[in-house]
Amino acid sequence: MSEAIYKIVDQLPTGGITVMALKSLDFIIPGQWQNIVGFDNTIRHVTGETDPALIRQIGDRAVRLFNDKSQGYQRALWLYQTVDNTDTLLGAAALANKVGEKISFLGFLDKMTPKPERAQSIDLSIKLIVEILAFCQINGIPGNSLGDFLRALADYSGESLMRMAALICFDGLIPLGPDFLLKCLGTLQSLQPGDLQENPTFRAIGSVVPGGNPSGQLGFILQSFNAVQGWMNQFVSGHELTPQKVINSLQSFIELSKDNLDYLGAFLDMSTNYYYHTGVQTLARRLIERAVAEI
Amino acid sequence: MARWLTALVLAFTLLITSCAPTSPSPYEQVQQESSQRNAPPAVSRKATQGSEFNRFFPPQENGFERIYVQEKKGFAEAKLKKDGKELAMLAISDTISTPEAAAKFQHSTLQIAGYPAVEVGTTQTAVLVANRYQVKVLSRDPSFTASDRKAWIEKFDLAGLAQLAP
Repeated sequence: MSEAIYKIVDQLPTGGITVMALKSLDFIIPGQWQNIVGFDNTIRHVTGETDPALIRQIGDRAVRLFNDKSQGYQRALWLYQTVDNTDTLLGAAALANKVGEKISFLGFLDKMTPKPERAQSIDLSIKLIVEILAFCQINGIPGNSLGDFLRALADYSGESLMRMAALICFDGLIPLGPDFLLKCLGTLQSLQPGDLQENPTFRAIGSVVPGGNPSGQLGFILQSFNAVQGWMNQFVSGHELTPQKVINSLQSFIELSKDNLDYLGAFLDMSTNYYYHTGVQTLARRLIERAVAEI
Repeated sequence: MARWLTALVLAFTLLITSCAPTSPSPYEQVQQESSQRNAPPAVSRKATQGSEFNRFFPPQENGFERIYVQEKKGFAEAKLKKDGKELAMLAISDTISTPEAAAKFQHSTLQIAGYPAVEVGTTQTAVLVANRYQVKVLSRDPSFTASDRKAWIEKFDLAGLAQLAP
């Protein structure tokens, strides 16, 4: 049984490294993402309604919908939780309390290892697959899910667009460089079906990745990546994104020097859970949109 | 001795602060009801599939863009946009799962296209079709008023939707 959805949304943080890291990407999609937290607050924000009795009615329905396992919301939450693997969080809470002080990760350098390109590429593509799977769990859209996802991707906004921006920047540009899409595709094409099992996140979510067997699953991942890379490419070129621009923006709150840039990707990976954070926000929004329309 | 006393005081402080009452969430009851074993499902097994609803939505016209956003059992929803701006949400739901949603139409004096209609809150207008399906339009921008909502409800194929009811 999952924890209550209202508790999960109430517990989203208003600050900390994840929130600061996401805010640093505001320059790419100005104003698109506000860190809306709190269950009732999210209901007010999404619906524009203010009457407490009505808010309560919407909230009640949203809680019921979330708890009905057949509706897929709990599985979507599990996917977002799993892909961010919060166990690796590197004392994020402790670091986050240093208000007004830049975060330095120099003290943790010995605990971090930059991921090899291959592992990072697999990570990026698995996060993408999780986005597709969670999208379908939350919004439905059966049939040709991938095509519908692409149409919906073009309409991504708010926290969903921010999640994609962060995926491109923190899991693509920073650890893999400007040609991250090519590198990633190259890696995927060179993989043998069994190689996926090396990736801990894949091992955790493998049972829900379509494809039937490892080779079919690798096929699904390649197909999905191919389908989405055009959109990502356009996002990068349309916003003239470079690793340097992202790093410059991150420098407003993380202390960096030229010598430890290699570790920045590893640090972000270990200290943030942006996929979970914005994933819960997306899940809550969709749940509330449905609840208010159904009551 | 002093050390013992400190430890004792600390232990008590911890005990007291950890027992400090936190106000229970208003959702606790519904959480319990809906998460216990054999809880009734939020969506009835008899609900019409959301995919059945899509064809009754208003067509795209005059620069209005209609993007389907959700399609679940008993529910379908589309976003209405113009010039890239989100104006409203359009939704059809099956009240077989939510009898109280259908009940609110019983005292309605309002009608839209011949169906009982209600205004909910400040952003919503709804009709009940064939005593079963709720069609709702929800404003997402202040420029989209109650009369816009009424006009867009009329653009649904309500008569077609009525045929869907068993």
